[in-house]
Amino acid sequence: MPILEVKDLRARYSARGPEILKGISFDVEAEDFLAIIGPSGAGKSTLIRCINRLVEPKSGEIRLYGAEVTKMAAPELRRLRRNIGMIFQEFNLVNRMSVLDNVLSGRLGYVGNLRSIFRMFSRSDIARGLELLDRVGLSDQVDKRADQLSGGQRQRVGIARALMQDPKLLLVDEPTSSLDPKISREVMALIREIADEFKVPVLCNIHDVQLAMEFCNKIIGLQDGIKMFDGPTETMDRRNLDQIYAMEVL
Amino acid sequence: MRRRRRRAIRFAATLGLAVLVLWSIEATIVADTDWQRIGSPAAVLKSVSRFLTIDFGLIPQLLVPMLETFMMACLGTLLGVFISLPVAWFGALNATPFKPLTYPLARFMMTLSRSIHEIVWALIFVAAVGLGALPGILAIAMRSVGFISKIIAEAIEDVDPKPVEAIRAVGGNGFQVLLYAIVPQVLPVALGTVIFEWDINIRRSAIMGLVGAGGLGLTFFRQMAMYNYGGVTTVILAILCLIILGEVVSTAARKALI
Repeated sequence: MPILEVKDLRARYSARGPEILKGISFDVEAEDFLAIIGPSGAGKSTLIRCINRLVEPKSGEIRLYGAEVTKMAAPELRRLRRNIGMIFQEFNLVNRMSVLDNVLSGRLGYVGNLRSIFRMFSRSDIARGLELLDRVGLSDQVDKRADQLSGGQRQRVGIARALMQDPKLLLVDEPTSSLDPKISREVMALIREIADEFKVPVLCNIHDVQLAMEFCNKIIGLQDGIKMFDGPTETMDRRNLDQIYAMEVL
Repeated sequence: MRRRRRRAIRFAATLGLAVLVLWSIEATIVADTDWQRIGSPAAVLKSVSRFLTIDFGLIPQLLVPMLETFMMACLGTLLGVFISLPVAWFGALNATPFKPLTYPLARFMMTLSRSIHEIVWALIFVAAVGLGALPGILAIAMRSVGFISKIIAEAIEDVDPKPVEAIRAVGGNGFQVLLYAIVPQVLPVALGTVIFEWDINIRRSAIMGLVGAGGLGLTFFRQMAMYNYGGVTTVILAILCLIILGEVVSTAARKALI
């Protein structure tokens, strides 16, 4: 029984603009670490942002743990987003806030307006935040400002923030594109470990095919808004890759 | 041919400009000044020299108005900041809650605040709430809104959208997005602007008394009415002291905060 079902998903940014996603369908199972690969402009980021509706899809169905995402009203959508962790290409941290406050902001969906003014997070949230920072190896950076950290460290803060949500699904958008090859591998390995440890399914955009083959159990290949490949990592071969990246060869 | 024509045009333009300047001088200075009353150059100098004394006896009476001027600037700026925050929020295209109504409203407030001179604001508030420091504070607050809110609104429009996306993604509401993703980015600009405006407001509050709104301006006005020119100079020096104080404090504050 898949935890996430996407059916005939279509998206475009403006009424007259080009269609970015042209009818995408796929399933994610509870134990999946699914990679979405494809050339730049294939629609990978748009696809992943449709799942938590940071981008509004134009038509199609998205069913997460049985609930229809596309028809949710704003308050229901916010409750849904609390359960979906997201990790970003450029970390998307608040630079002028401390590392711990950045991690705690993962709990904002559970905190009232008045408490959030004074950054009054519960004792258990703070304890949990410190624990997660320790888990990603940043226990000595807790009080530093986010912009004082290196790229790899910032991405670890981003990972801790996502885990702070106790996510039922992790959306990961090009987690390694702003990092050098060695750090990229470390970060991917950490996300993989965490997915197993917290038993959370992952949907991960990644343009680095090598990393995708190494860390993911399933791969979806996108090209120009169309799904060109969908299958277990073992079934991916040279010919499939050529097909997905054909646009670039030409 | 073309060269000659261009030269002719330039000549005509220069001539037109010169005529305009000469006509302005004639209309506003030559015709509008009471030359009989000015008298000889020596008499002019004598009039000016009356200001070159200091009335030391006035100094003890200046302390309270000086304090009042200073407080008017502080409270006026503070009130101005409180009014500016919602105006800035409404006036930033990417944050305004209901674009067709709140955005034009905020832009109108900004323009209104700046296009009316502080003395005119003071006259309005003196008429509304009577004499004293209160109308001065209100006038300074209203005059401050335009600049502070415009700068903050522009800072909000220039905010990095990435943290905004992150806070939305964890399920934060609009208010939390503002608080966690936008405010931290805007804060340095906002603080700098407020300090700058406070500095300017010290100058503004020093003249509020000319229309009956309290502070040093009122003392200035009284000395002038009594033809006590030494007293006028003393008041001007007191204003100068206050402004220098403001300059020193604002420079230090800016260094400490930003």
